[in-house]
Parts: sequence; structure tokens; C-alpha cells
Amino acid sequence: MPQNSYSVSVGHSNIHSGNIIGIGSVNNTFYNSDEDAQIMRWLSPLEPHNRHQGVRNKRFDGIRDWFLETREFREWGGGQGGTDKAVLFCSGNPGVGKTYLR
Amino acid sequence: MDSLCNQGGEENIAVTAFYCDFVSQQQQTTSNIVGAILKQLVGRGEIAKNIREAFKKAKKEVGGRGPRLPDLVGMLRTTIASLPKVFICLDALDECLPNYLQELLKSLRDIVREFPSTRIFLAGRPPVKEDIQRCFPKMVVIPISPNTDDIRNYVEMRLERDI
Repeated sequence: MPQNSYSVSVGHSNIHSGNIIGIGSVNNTFYNSDEDAQIMRWLSPLEPHNRHQGVRNKRFDGIRDWFLETREFREWGGGQGGTDKAVLFCSGNPGVGKTYLR
Repeated sequence: MDSLCNQGGEENIAVTAFYCDFVSQQQQTTSNIVGAILKQLVGRGEIAKNIREAFKKAKKEVGGRGPRLPDLVGMLRTTIASLPKVFICLDALDECLPNYLQELLKSLRDIVREFPSTRIFLAGRPPVKEDIQRCFPKMVVIPISPNTDDIRNYVEMRLERDI
């Protein structure tokens, strides 16, 4: 079974689409006070974290690393080109593994 | 994503990610998505004073109201302005409802115009390309297709792990 079938199964089973903030590997899920937690809920009811964690756990090392080496990705990530080069779009049919790019 | 986060650790770059999902399409309004992006940037440390004040003000109104899209975009602006570099990753854009997607892309376009160093990573099925191109005509497109080496690696790893 190729890796790509996972992106479908995760999409179906995960009700909360997650988000995660990464500054290095620090994931800040604990807030300083009740008010902080309320502010977070007020900003958006969508819960970070879960989905990305799910993707990360199901990903295999060594797959899709080629992507990081492409000239397009490096130029985009390097931040040259300003507004014109700000957006990178990965286009692919369902199940090709877009979600699992490292 | 994680590669960007690792890079972020070294260079103090903030990375946010959002996965659209057709199961929760109704909940994934433009405001909620922008709020979720903002939430990740805010969640790194001390909540900025302007956000705390906006929250307190909204809470005082009858029943306490949720933030509106312009408020959220404004808060996202001030937050991005305070950070050296921000990556925003959005996956499965084709699973976002078309009206919300348009609004979201326009909000992102405004952000990028104001902060040209912001990097936006988008992924989705080929049909959303046109929608995105309308807002970002010069975007870089990388087509992802099934790759025999990836599949071989994957099968080998699974066999090694499961047997």
C-alpha cells in the first residue's frame, strides 16, 4: 500500500484540522492563565496541533526529501524575490503525498 | 513543514500550518482559518497587548462577540510585523469552501504585499491552481506526482517495520 492512501484516511478521520506553531521543536500548548486560553479560543475555535501531529506520526523518513532539494523550493524558502516569489503551490491529485512532504 | 520548523529553530523563523478538511468545511470559515494562523503565532509566548485588549473589549459587548475578519487580519499584521520571518502553510485548499478560499487568498495577498518576506506554502489538487493564480499570478508551482522510488521506499520500510 503506497504512502499516499494515508492522506485520505487522515482527512476522513480527523475532525479538527490542526495547526501547529514551530519555533524549533517547541510546541506551546500550555497557556499562562485562563485568560490566555480564552483569548486563544476567541481567536479561533479550530484547534491547532492534532492534525499536524497525526501527519508527523504517519510519515516515513526518506520519502519526498527530493522536494526539499528542488531549486523552486530553495529559492522560495530563501526569501529572495519578495512579493513575486512569496507563494509556492504544490499541485497534485489526491493521494500523491502532498500532505506528507517533510 | 517540519523541515521549515527545524530551519525556524536555527533562524528564529515562525512557521504556521493549517490543513483544510472537507469534514469541517462549515467551521473552516475565513475568519476561523486566519484566527488559527494567528493563534499559532501568538501561542509562542506572551500574548501581545493589542490582542489582549481587543479580546477584553469584545468580551464586554453583549454576549461577547467573536473577532471579525478585518480585526483578525489587523492582528495578524501587527503580529507578523513583530517577527523576523513567518511561513504560512496551508494544505488541501481544494477542501476549503470556494467563498472562504477567495477571501482567504485575498487576505494573504494583502499580508504579502505589506510583508514581502512572508513565505506562503500552499498545497491542493490541480483545479485550485486557477483560484490561487488569480491572487498570486507569479507564484511558483511544483507538480507532485506519484514517484516510484517513494513507493518502493515506503513499501520496504513498512515491511521492515511490520514483519
